[in-house]
Amino acid sequence: MKSIQTTTFDVMVIGGGIAGLQTALDIACQDYSVAVVEKGASIGGKMIRLSKVFPTLDCASCITTPKMAAAAHNDNITLFTCCDVKSIKRERTLSTQNISNSISPQNNNTQRNRFVLKAVVTQRARYVDADKCIGCRKCEYECPVLVSDVEQGGFSARKAISIPFSNAIPQIAVLDADNCMLCGKCEKICPTHAINYFQESYDFVIQANSIVLATGYEMTSLSDKPQYGMGKIPNVIDALQMERLLAPHGPYNRVLRPSDGKEPDSIAYIQCAGSRDRSMGVPYCSRFCCMYAIKQAMLLSGSLPLAEIRIYYMDIRAFGKGYEQFYQNAKAMGIEFVKAKVARVDAGEDGSVTLQYEDQNGYGMVTMNHDLVVASMGVISAWSPKGICNVSQGLDNFIHTINSKLSPTLTDMEGVFVAGAAAGPKDIVDTITEAGSAAIEVSKYLRYLYGKERGLKPVSTISSLKAVA
Amino acid sequence: MKDKKEDQKHKENQEYREDKKVGVYICYCGGNISDHVDVERVREYVENLPEVAVARTNMFMCSDPGQQLIMDDLKNGTVERVVVASCAPSLHETTFRSAISRAGINPYIYEHANIREQVSWVHHGDQATEKAIKLISMASAKAEQLSPLEPIRVNAKKHATVIGGGVAGLRAAKDMADCGIEVALIEKSQFLGGNLAPLDKIAPTGESAKELLSTLALQVLCHPSITIYAGSVVDSFEGYVGNFTLGVKQVEPLPSKAADSDITAEADISDIQKTNETDKYKKGDYIPFSGVFAVDDADFSNRSDSQNLSVSSNWKSHVIETGVIVIATGFKSYTPNIGEYGYKKIKEVITLPELIKSMADSLNSGRLSSQDSFTMQKGSACSGKVRGLEKFLEIDGRKIRSMAMIHCVGSRQTPGIHQENDSGQLNEYCSRTCCTATLNAANIIRERYPSTRIYDFFRDIRTYGRGQEEIYEKASHNQVIFFRFEADEPPEIIESRESQSGKNFESNSQLNNFPICVKAKDVLTFGEEIEAPVDLVVLATGIEPNDVSDLVQKMKLPVGADRFLLEVHPKLRPVELPVSGIFLAGTCQAPMDIGESCNAAGAAAVKAAAMLAKGYVELDPFVAQINLELCNGCGACVESCLSDGALRIVDIKADGELIKRAEVTPPLCLGCGACVGVCSENAIDIAGWTLRQYEAMVDRIVAENILAVIN
Amino acid sequence: MVEENIQQHKKTDELSKNLDKKADAMKALRKSCKNRIDRVAEIVREQKRALKAIRAQLANSPSTIPEIAASTDMPTDIVLWYVAAMKKYGQIAEKEKDDGYYRYSLQGESHVID
Ligand SMILES: Cc1cc2nc3c(=O)[nH]c(=O)nc-3n(C[C@H](O)[C@H](O)[C@H](O)COP(=O)(O)OP(=O)(O)OC[C@H]3O[C@@H](n4cnc5c(N)ncnc54)[C@H](O)[C@@H]3O)c2cc1C
Ligand code: SF4
Ligand code: SF4
Ligand code: SF4
Ligand code: SF4
Repeated sequence: MKSIQTTTFDVMVIGGGIAGLQTALDIACQDYSVAVVEKGASIGGKMIRLSKVFPTLDCASCITTPKMAAAAHNDNITLFTCCDVKSIKRERTLSTQNISNSISPQNNNTQRNRFVLKAVVTQRARYVDADKCIGCRKCEYECPVLVSDVEQGGFSARKAISIPFSNAIPQIAVLDADNCMLCGKCEKICPTHAINYFQESYDFVIQANSIVLATGYEMTSLSDKPQYGMGKIPNVIDALQMERLLAPHGPYNRVLRPSDGKEPDSIAYIQCAGSRDRSMGVPYCSRFCCMYAIKQAMLLSGSLPLAEIRIYYMDIRAFGKGYEQFYQNAKAMGIEFVKAKVARVDAGEDGSVTLQYEDQNGYGMVTMNHDLVVASMGVISAWSPKGICNVSQGLDNFIHTINSKLSPTLTDMEGVFVAGAAAGPKDIVDTITEAGSAAIEVSKYLRYLYGKERGLKPVSTISSLKAVA
Repeated sequence: MKDKKEDQKHKENQEYREDKKVGVYICYCGGNISDHVDVERVREYVENLPEVAVARTNMFMCSDPGQQLIMDDLKNGTVERVVVASCAPSLHETTFRSAISRAGINPYIYEHANIREQVSWVHHGDQATEKAIKLISMASAKAEQLSPLEPIRVNAKKHATVIGGGVAGLRAAKDMADCGIEVALIEKSQFLGGNLAPLDKIAPTGESAKELLSTLALQVLCHPSITIYAGSVVDSFEGYVGNFTLGVKQVEPLPSKAADSDITAEADISDIQKTNETDKYKKGDYIPFSGVFAVDDADFSNRSDSQNLSVSSNWKSHVIETGVIVIATGFKSYTPNIGEYGYKKIKEVITLPELIKSMADSLNSGRLSSQDSFTMQKGSACSGKVRGLEKFLEIDGRKIRSMAMIHCVGSRQTPGIHQENDSGQLNEYCSRTCCTATLNAANIIRERYPSTRIYDFFRDIRTYGRGQEEIYEKASHNQVIFFRFEADEPPEIIESRESQSGKNFESNSQLNNFPICVKAKDVLTFGEEIEAPVDLVVLATGIEPNDVSDLVQKMKLPVGADRFLLEVHPKLRPVELPVSGIFLAGTCQAPMDIGESCNAAGAAAVKAAAMLAKGYVELDPFVAQINLELCNGCGACVESCLSDGALRIVDIKADGELIKRAEVTPPLCLGCGACVGVCSENAIDIAGWTLRQYEAMVDRIVAENILAVIN
Repeated sequence: MVEENIQQHKKTDELSKNLDKKADAMKALRKSCKNRIDRVAEIVREQKRALKAIRAQLANSPSTIPEIAASTDMPTDIVLWYVAAMKKYGQIAEKEKDDGYYRYSLQGESHVID
C-alpha cells in the first residue's frame, strides 16, 4: 500500500442518483470541482429504472437522462462508477499558504480549521478497460451465458458481460465474474481489446473539502415477509418490478403475469406492505408508495383498459403539489380504493393470488382473487455510515440531520451534508429541491473555508457549521 | 446486422453532396414514440429529402449514445444543420443544443420536431406516421435555412431581492448573502417570521418556533450584505434578468399584528398611537405571535450588537436595482366560511391556529410563574386546572372535558360537495401540514391535560414525513379516538346547549350538558353512526396562498389552477419561473412544512447564485431584428409590441441626415412576432424564425403528398 | 475513465503484449477458477438445451407460453424468462393475442443467443 493515488476535488458526492446528480450539477455551476462516486455501473439511481413519474406522468428516462448527460459532460464533474467508499476521515493537512502576517486569533482559527475530508474508495474490477470500451455491445451479443437481469426485475436475462441498460451512463460493458466461464469469446470479438480478465480492484483516495451523502434508499424484500408468502407465491411482485413491467423497454414490453405470460385481468396493490408496522421493522411511512401505486394503477388502466385495478390501503397520502388532484383523477378513472389492511396472501388456482382482508361494510373477513398482486414494500436506508465515517443515523437508520427545520441537509460531521432519500424517504420533487438545498449549504461552507484561507471578507455567521441549539 | 447497415451508411456519407447538409435524428423514446409511429419508415422517407444528408434513429436520442451520434456527424462534417424529432422541445431542446455546442458548432443550427406530445401520444397507426413525416420534413426544410446566431449576453448585477420575510425568505436571503451576493429583503409587515411566528412547539422535533425564528432572523438582521425593507411592498417592476428595477414603497405603519390583544381590541385607536405602540419594540426583539421586529429604532444603536444593523427606516420609496428576484410570499391559513362547521356561529368552534395561539398563551404565562403548574393564570386565555387528579384544558375559562378535531377544513374540497369561495374556487389540494399539526396539538393536550378527551375526525391521516408517523402512533397511544369520514358525509356540528346564558359548565358533570354534539358516520366501524358530545371543536384549517395578484400582474408570473405560483416543471426546474431570473421559495408555490420551505429556499438560492456567479447571463437570441434599409420609421411595430420598452423609434444618422428607425432592446423582446405582422415593409424578422424559414416550412407542407408514400 | 485507471492497467497491457506469457496466465486463471467455470458451463448447457427446445416449438408454429411449456416440458415462468431474453436479443417477435396470452414466433436468424 505504498503509492495509493490521491485525487483532489472541492466536493465529493456519494451516490449518483437524482439527488447526487442534482447536487453535483448545482455545485458545479458555481465552478467548484465535484467527484460523483457511484456504487453501481451506471449513474441515474432508482429514478432511471422507473417507468413514468407522478404527478406529471413524464417518462422517467426523459427527465433523468438529460440530468445524467449534463453531469457526465460537465467539465467540473468527474464520475466514478463501480466504486465503494471504504472510509472517510477528517484529517489535518499542512497549510501551503503563508499566513504569517498577523497573529490575530482569526488566524489561529484558520490553522485549526485546515482540515480536509479523505475518502478511501475501492474501484471494483469491471474486467473491461473503461478507457477503451466504446459501448458497441459486441461482447454482450457474443457471450453465451444468460444471467437473470435484475435491471428488469429478474423477468428477463442479460449476458455475463453486458452494458447495464440501454440508457446507462457511462456506456461501458461490465463483466460479471461470478457468471463468466472464461470462454474468451468476448475478448476475441472486442474491437478495441478492452476486455481484461486480469483486472483487479484497487483503492484510491479522494480528497475533498466537503462531502454530500446522497446514497438513497432500498426496498425491503418480499422474501422476508411471511405475511406475503416470502416471495414464493407466483405473481406477487414488488412495486419496482411493476415499474419495469410498465417501462417502455421493459422485459416483456407490456404488462404480463410473470408466472405464465397471461395478460392480467385483475391487479391489486397492497399498500403499507412492510411500512407503518413495527412487526415489519419499518414503523414509519415510506412516503411515496401511495402516489406510485396510484400512478401505476393509472398507467395500467391505460395499457389494460379492461383490467380491474384495486388498491388496498390504510390512508392515501397524496400530500404534494397536485397529488390530491391526481388521486381524485384516479378514482374518477374507475380505480377502486379499498380501505383495508390485507391480512394474508396465498397462492390461488391457475396462478391467481388470494387476498384476505377485513371488509369495511361489516362482512368480516373477505377473500378476493387477483391475477397479479403488487406489494408496496417498505423503504429503508441504502447505506450505513457505520465503520466508514462519524455520521450518525436516526432511529430509522436514515442519516441523522441535526437541524431538520432550518438546515435540513446538515449532518453531525463537519463538512458532510445529506440530500434526498438518504435522509428519509422522499419523492423526486422533494429530493430535487433538497439537492439544491444541500448544494447551497456546500457552497456556503466552501466559501467560508476558502474565504478564511484566502483572506476574503468572511461572511458574518455560518449557521450551517453548527446546529442551532 | 445493425452495424453492417451503419458501415454502409458511413460509406455513403463519404460521398455526400455539398447541397445536402441536414442531419435528421429520430427518437424511439423507448417505445413512447415507436409504439405508434413507424420510426424506420419515417427515417426512410426523410432520408430522401433533398436537403437531408443522413437520417438516423435511436432508442433514446437524449441518452449519451444518442447525443454522440449527432456530435460525431457534426465533427466529421457529415451534417451542418441538425433536426431532432423526439419529445416536446421544452424537455430537450437545450439538451441537444448543448450537444451541438460540445461538438464545437453553433448551437442555433438546430430545429426540433415534436413527434411525441404532438404525434404518438395523440395519433395512432398510419396517421401518426404520416404526421411525424410531415412535422419532420417541415423542420428539415426550416433547418436548411437556419444560420448561426449568437446568444444575447447581458450583464447581471450581483444583487438579489427576496420578497417575503417568512422562514423561506429569511433562509434564501441568508444563503445568497453568505455566497457573496448583496441582498434586499422586502417584507410587508414590520416583523420577520411570517407564519412561523404564531407557532409554538414545532412538529415533529418539538423545537420552539421562537428559538428557530430568533436565530435565523437575527442572523439576517445582522448580516452586512442584507438590507431589510420592512413594512414595505413592491410597487413597480421593470427590466429583465440581471437588471431588474424594483420600486419599493413603505406601506402605512401598521400596529404590531395582534401583539397585544388589549390594544388591537380598541377600535378607535389612531394611526399615530399605533406607530407609538410599535416604537416600544426594538429591532431584533422577538414579539410573541408576530415575529422578530425589523424596523429600525433609535434605542437600538445603544445596544452592543448594533454595528451591523442595516435597516432602512424611512417611510419613503426606494428603488432597488437587482439581478434576480426570489418570491417567498408564503401562505395564509384558510378562514372557514361563516357557518362552515358552525364557525363564527357557534363560539365553541375555533380553528387550529386559534387553538395553538391560546394554548401557547397559557403555557407561556404558566411557565413564567412556576415550572410545571396548571393553575389558572390571571389574564391568560387558557390554562389547565388541577382538580384532584383531573387535569383539563381550559379555553376562555371554560373547562374542556372533551373536544373534536376535524381534518381537511378548506382542503381536499370536491366539486359538487364543497362550497366554492367568493371567486368560485375550490381548494382541491391537500394542505400537507395540517394532519401533523393537528395530531401534534392533540398529543400536547392529551399529555398535559389527560382528562380532556379528544375525538379526531379525519379522511386520511397524512403523517408522511420523518418523525411524523410517530406522532400518529403517539396519538393512538395517548388514546385520541379516531373516526374516519368520507368527503360526501362530513361530520355535523349540532348545538345542544340548553341556553346561551353563560351556564357554568364546570359545575355540570352530566354528559348531556355538552354544548355541542358532533355527529358522523364512522367508516372505520363500517359506517356506524356516532355522536360525540364535546365542549370544543377545532377545525384543522389548511393553507391558501397569500394574495400576490399585484406581483403576478407586474411580473407576469404564472399561477396554477390551485392559485399557488406555478413552477416551470416540478422536476426539471422546480424553483424556476418562465420569467428568467425570478425564483420561487416556500409556500407561495405549494403547501410545505418549515423544513421543506427551507429546502426550497436553498434550492432557489443556489440557482440564483449560479446565475449571478459569472457576472453575465446569456439569453436565447430569438428576438426581433430590424432591417434598417427597409424600415421607414412609421412606428406601427412599436404600437403592436407586447413588451414595454422592447421596441422604440430612434433617430439615426444616415448620409448626414437624421432619420427615424425602429430599434430593439433584445433582452426585453419576447420574440412573439407581433411586430412582424404589422410591418408594412417586411423590415422585421425574428432571428431563428424568419419569414423565409416559415415560407420553407409552408412550402414543404403543401408540396408533400405523404399519404402516397405511406400506402 | 481516469488517469489512475490507465496507470493501473499498464501492467496488464504489457502482459497482453507478451502473448506466450498471456496464454500461460490465462491457463493459470482458468485453473484457479475451475469450480466456477464448471458450474457456469453446466448452466449454459442447460440454457442451450432449453433455448433449442423453445426454438423447435416456435419453428413448428407461433405459440403461447403455456403451449411452449407443454411441448418442452418446462415450467411456464421459466419459459417466459427465456422468451423475454430471446425477444430482447432479437430472436423472436410477439404476435397476436389469443385468449389472454400472446403468441411468439421466430424472427430471422440471430447469433446473439445460441
Ligand atoms: C396551523 C399550522 C401548524 C403548522 N405546524 C407546523 C409544524 O408543526 N411543523 C412544520 O414543519 N410546519 C408547520 N406548519 C407549516 C409552516 O408554518 C410553514 O411550512 C412555513 O411557515 C412556511 O414558510 P414561508 O416562509 O414559506 O411562508 P410564510 O411564513 O407565510 O412567510 C411569507 C412572508 O412573506 C410576507 N409577504 C407576503 N406577501 C408579501 C408581499 N407581496 N410583499 C412582501 N412581503 C410579503 C408575509 O408577510 C410573510 O412574512 C404549520 C402551519 C399551520 C397553518
Ligand atoms: S468491451 Fe469491447 S466489445 Fe464490449 S462493448 Fe466495450 S468495446 Fe464493445
Ligand atoms: S469470457 Fe465470460 S463474459 Fe466473456 S463471453 Fe465468455 S462467458 Fe461471456
Ligand atoms: S406512502 Fe402510503 S403506502 Fe407508503 S407507507 Fe405511507 S401510507 Fe403506506
Ligand atoms: S394534511 Fe391532512 S388534514 Fe391537511 S388537507 Fe391533507 S389530509 Fe387533510
